[in-house]
Amino acid sequence: MKTRFSVYPYVWRVPLLIWQGLFFIGPLALMVAMSFWLVKNYRMEPDFVFKNWDKMMSRGYFWDAYWITLWRASLAALLATLIAFPASYTLAFKVSDTVRRWAVFFLIVPFFTSYLVRAYAWQVLLAESGPINAILGYLGLGPFTMLNTGIGAMVGYMTLVLPLVVILQTFSLAAIDRNLIEAAWNLGASARATLFKVIIPSARVGLIIGAVFAFILSYGDFVSPFYLGGSKPPTMSILIIDTTKSGQQWPRAAVVAIMMIVTLFTVAFVAVGAAYGRRK
Amino acid sequence: MTIEDTLVTFEGVHKRYDDFVAVKALDLEIKRGEFVAIMGPSGCGKTTTLRMLAGLETPSGGKITIGGKCMNDVPAHERDTPLVWQSLALFPFLNVIENVEFGLKMRGVPDFERQPRALIWLERLGLKGFEKRRIDQLSGGQRQRVALARSLVTEPEMLLLDEPLSALDAHLVIRMQGVLTKLQKELGITFVYVTHSQSEAFAMADRVVIMGQGEISQIGAPRDIFRAPKNRFVAEFVGRNNIFAGMGQSGGDIVVAADRISVSREATEGASVQAAFLSEEFVGTAIICYFEGPDGEDLKALVTEEELEALSPEPGEQFWLSWAPEAVHELEGA
Repeated sequence: MKTRFSVYPYVWRVPLLIWQGLFFIGPLALMVAMSFWLVKNYRMEPDFVFKNWDKMMSRGYFWDAYWITLWRASLAALLATLIAFPASYTLAFKVSDTVRRWAVFFLIVPFFTSYLVRAYAWQVLLAESGPINAILGYLGLGPFTMLNTGIGAMVGYMTLVLPLVVILQTFSLAAIDRNLIEAAWNLGASARATLFKVIIPSARVGLIIGAVFAFILSYGDFVSPFYLGGSKPPTMSILIIDTTKSGQQWPRAAVVAIMMIVTLFTVAFVAVGAAYGRRK
Repeated sequence: MTIEDTLVTFEGVHKRYDDFVAVKALDLEIKRGEFVAIMGPSGCGKTTTLRMLAGLETPSGGKITIGGKCMNDVPAHERDTPLVWQSLALFPFLNVIENVEFGLKMRGVPDFERQPRALIWLERLGLKGFEKRRIDQLSGGQRQRVALARSLVTEPEMLLLDEPLSALDAHLVIRMQGVLTKLQKELGITFVYVTHSQSEAFAMADRVVIMGQGEISQIGAPRDIFRAPKNRFVAEFVGRNNIFAGMGQSGGDIVVAADRISVSREATEGASVQAAFLSEEFVGTAIICYFEGPDGEDLKALVTEEELEALSPEPGEQFWLSWAPEAVHELEGA
């Protein structure tokens, strides 16, 4: 049977394609192209040279930044997952629906204030002469240098990602069929065994998605490593700022950005595969 | 009945939620190797009773013993009271054999021993070759059997079943009823079966416990409950009964089973009432005719196809429903 050609579906697809082309594919293509351009006298000239890639890939500081960013984002994802889990577990299983709804609302509130403002607040709190060190001082500890270190950056990452990770985990835990948990007890599973053998496997998708969001947000963030981590060693995002500031090296910044996108895509792809993939 | 024959006792067990009494003062004994069905309308406390037996609910008062031991403070995971859930509650992230092995694993049975034991049960329930399947690749009946295998693999003394057949198609229900009764007879273990379905309870159980509003209304063999319901609630719940108010010798209510009613166009000798024909319903080999009695009560009579043809009733027509004196069962209470 011959299907009649209809333009109708194509017409409706066009806006989406234009949108994707204009705001996603276009800039991405431009950035890839730009990474082959040349900068002469502080001005970019379209070209096709591998100089930028050569320069960045052969430098130790690029790879230092690459690995430190990957490491910190991975650590942030792991820490956020571990810190959020007890809170999410409590919200999902130990409180009433009303309390859970309010808790989720209050978890959204932090997003109302600028993340930059919250990072600045930590600058005060974490300072050598700040309140946290003062309290630790009473206990005969410290003072500790937390500002402008990896610890400072990590505190900032947690500020950024924890509310979101708790929300994602809470929803996935609350969605678990309670009969499965009772069935586990009924079959002789202790509370601990139920947690590891039934609850965590059941919430696997939500837990992994939460960790992936924590990774992505921390990986691309520049506020925390800049204002709380002291930008030393620089992360990839700080490297982009530095590169563009020093001599208008937009093509080299494009190289860094492309490497970031490739890494994020790989991590997200592997993680989603692990979340939804069949078990071996 | 000796002490050894008794597996489970409920002594004055009640369960109260904040402002709601689910079970009040329940006394019940269940023997070893018995198939007991707890039956009642929804909200009658039957599932709560079963959950208390499994340790998933703690009684508010009273005492539950299993094998002579008080179970009130024994947590669910330390009891050997596997339950087959209405939703089956199979673990979707585990395959068939991993589901079946779960209980063994939790009891610390070593790896090399778990698999053969699980395989025996899969084979016994006709699931050979399905070991590696995911749960979502199975049909409803197959899932049912995986749930049974998972519960029975630890070889418990007692199996609890919470409306396990209510999600199945009618023809599968009949087949699973056969599987369950055969299994229970072969294993010789106690089955405690909760259902709202009279046909399931009566088809399988040795003894039926009828519950209503948190209390036991009657306990007895299916036949006794059907022929001699104790009160109006049981008579109505069991169905296929006609209840005539105030027609007993002492002025009480009487019950006449639908299959002991004869229908005719003319008035007959002995006990009878006149009733208007409403409709008919084919139930396998016989037909149930529905009538409206003089006081608006619902009446029913079981007739054969030939009888129906001879009567050829039209809706609204008056008939005489009569019964023999020996068909009458008097209810307790006025």
